[in-house]
Amino acid sequence: MTEENIENDIPPSTRKLDIDGDAEIHIDGLDLWYGTKQALYDVSLPIAKNCVTSLIGPSGCGKSTLLRTINRMNDLIPICRYEGKIVQGETEITAKDADLVSIRKNIGMVFQRPNPFPKSIYDNVAYGVKLHHKPSREQLDSIVEKSLKRAAIWSEVSDRLHDLGTSLSGGQQQRLCIARSIAIEPDVILMDEPCSALDPIATAAIEELILELKKDFTVVIVTHSMSQAARVSDYTGFMYLGRMVEFNKTEKIFSDPDQELTKRYITGRFG
Amino acid sequence: MKEIDKLPVRNRKGREFIEKVGSGGLALTSIIGLVFLLILVYQIAKPTIIDGEEGEIVAATEFLPISDYILKWDNPSVDEDGNLISEPIIIQLAWDDENGSHEHEIEITVIPQRNVKENIQLNENGVDTNEVTVGKKTKFFIYSTLSTPVSVHQISGPTPAANETGYPQVNTFVIQSDVSTVFSNGISIEESMAIISWCLLMVMILVYIFPNEKIIQPIASISKNHQIIRWISLVPFLFFILYEITVIRFFIVLNCFIGLRMLANLSEGIFRLSNQMKPLNDRILLKHSIVNRDGLMLWAKLFFLVSTFFIPLNVHIPFLTERYQDIFQPYSSGIRSAFYGTFWVMGIAMVMAIPVSIGAAIYLEEYAKPTRLTKLIQALITNLAGVPSIVFGLFGLAIFVREGGFGLGFGPSIFAAGLTMGVMAMPIIVLAAQEALRSVPRSIRESAYGIGCTRWQVTKDHVLPSAMPGMMTGTILAMSRIVGEAAPLLVVGAFGAVLFDPEPFAALTDGNINFTVIPIQIYAWTAEPGHEWHAMAAAASIALIAVMISMNSIAIILREYYRRRLNS
Repeated sequence: MTEENIENDIPPSTRKLDIDGDAEIHIDGLDLWYGTKQALYDVSLPIAKNCVTSLIGPSGCGKSTLLRTINRMNDLIPICRYEGKIVQGETEITAKDADLVSIRKNIGMVFQRPNPFPKSIYDNVAYGVKLHHKPSREQLDSIVEKSLKRAAIWSEVSDRLHDLGTSLSGGQQQRLCIARSIAIEPDVILMDEPCSALDPIATAAIEELILELKKDFTVVIVTHSMSQAARVSDYTGFMYLGRMVEFNKTEKIFSDPDQELTKRYITGRFG
Repeated sequence: MKEIDKLPVRNRKGREFIEKVGSGGLALTSIIGLVFLLILVYQIAKPTIIDGEEGEIVAATEFLPISDYILKWDNPSVDEDGNLISEPIIIQLAWDDENGSHEHEIEITVIPQRNVKENIQLNENGVDTNEVTVGKKTKFFIYSTLSTPVSVHQISGPTPAANETGYPQVNTFVIQSDVSTVFSNGISIEESMAIISWCLLMVMILVYIFPNEKIIQPIASISKNHQIIRWISLVPFLFFILYEITVIRFFIVLNCFIGLRMLANLSEGIFRLSNQMKPLNDRILLKHSIVNRDGLMLWAKLFFLVSTFFIPLNVHIPFLTERYQDIFQPYSSGIRSAFYGTFWVMGIAMVMAIPVSIGAAIYLEEYAKPTRLTKLIQALITNLAGVPSIVFGLFGLAIFVREGGFGLGFGPSIFAAGLTMGVMAMPIIVLAAQEALRSVPRSIRESAYGIGCTRWQVTKDHVLPSAMPGMMTGTILAMSRIVGEAAPLLVVGAFGAVLFDPEPFAALTDGNINFTVIPIQIYAWTAEPGHEWHAMAAAASIALIAVMISMNSIAIILREYYRRRLNS
């Protein structure tokens, strides 16, 4: 087979989706369109509980789209529509009458660019808690402290909790965003290229944090860096042009992929 | 069981209700705006609807006197030295009063200079002069304080220019320029207290902004007693208990209270600094010690500005405190009723326009789906922002002033004028607010949705605070555009001479609906003949500009406050 043939002859989305243990979320046969342009083709994916699942693939392959469908952030784009099913436990996330507030409470998200609210560090973390619960002042203080500690940023900001969140450095802001997400204790945290705007040191801090978070949360991470995927994730899905080309344990994908396309991508011959 | 689930859960029912009601209300405001706009379009397309019925219009000027009469000779024949070649010009003034009839002759000398000016005073004792010198193309005026008409008769000399011939009646008419009416004699205790409280506030604001060591030193000596000052600041409120509340007393009390509070805060800050043995000349430290008083500072600035409006109005300066009461004494007239008219018209316009247009902007930007209808509305609003103001005046005339058809029949009242101005400001505010909302970064919305905010929570907690400075600016710009607008109000029916304080809701309570605003007052005064009135018009324009600047500075203060809250 020539090189071009491999890249043009895209295999359909894989159904070989075995994981050890329980799945937190099942994605089943998801098709998605932006207007008339189809962005996802029949994508299925299980997301293993308390594991890190990473999605890799070249730009424009639909990783972020898939991620944003999981907590229905794509609803903000008016021209976006989809078919298929995403189920978390008993809840059908893609149902028409689904409760978006509780979905997004259970499935937190960290974005590519750190985007803390233009409020104080304390309020950034406390806002989400106050949104859903009625904590007392002391409870709120302890939740904020705990979340900031879990996000490994407490030691840096404990003496200036009332400074603006936007006055922190980029890596600190991203960890503050993670603290904001874990303050409301979601089941799943979606991370959309969380390190792409950060320097290597901040990236290392975030990666360490992801491994730490794995104990309590299920993490899905979209990344451009294959080495990052190899370092932090338990399962890896490789996507190409809207298809889930291959999904497997991370060691398997990076050592002995089934598909020729995956092999070419992870060895850096295209993408 | 997660730990967070042990916390009491916030009730969702209220939130969902607010979500529904909120978007419904926003849609409603948008629809109200749309209805106004559609009616306006209809009015422009079908202007015949403002056909009036007969006998409705009452001329406002009919009780104003005709001005002094001017005799004018275009070119009296003079020789090289300027001596009159023909007979001398002699005019005869004749009048009747209780003492019988009088006659007086005045000889007019013509000299070859230009623009020689001379006025003749006529009163019970007769005329003050027998001879008048005039130059080429000059005028002289005859002013009379008599209660009876005076006839003017030319006895000899060249014939006056064609239009001026005849023997006109001179109306009783006098112009006094008495300086003592401009500055009334004596200031009451209340007025001086008002000025003192105003100055106190100003000094405190200045000290807060520029903490200077020399000013700080005397305050430092009393800084131990900051708690006492804090209690003293409550004393002015006794005023409210002891006396009836008036506008000026309200401002005295509030100004004193805020000023003393600031003093107490300042001395507390100094006290704390000196306790820590820190030097007082460190400006940054000092500022830091009195920081966290932003709210107080905001109120202080607002009260300072507003009382800058009201305290002079209540201190007796006739130009500001008097109405257009005496047509014979221009300098004793004032812009009081015009100022109140402007105040009420702006108030009603703001109350009407701001909620509707900001609601409409939020709905169009955040809620509405981009359908063909929303695009049409958008195009309508954009075009309306450029429609000439006189068209809005006609709209107001048809909708708010007249009865029948779409007309609501408020008559030429402040209420109708305020609504008209509100409609005029609406498209401008909508556009500015939309621009401000659009400039809120997407990431703020995404992060808010990401932790489970509803749409209304995103708008209320994140988008609106970020967009607030822009919205403020747009709103105030719209308001300062309409505060100087005269054309629509001419059509709606503002009067030139209003001798009483206007009643804002007279249209609803069957009171006296007549009113005027500062631009109309300026227009009316420039149309008066005497140059004293023109000076009054110039002074009124300065007052108008002062009103505009104050409004803009309120906007700037609010905007800076919000901006600092977002960025610092």
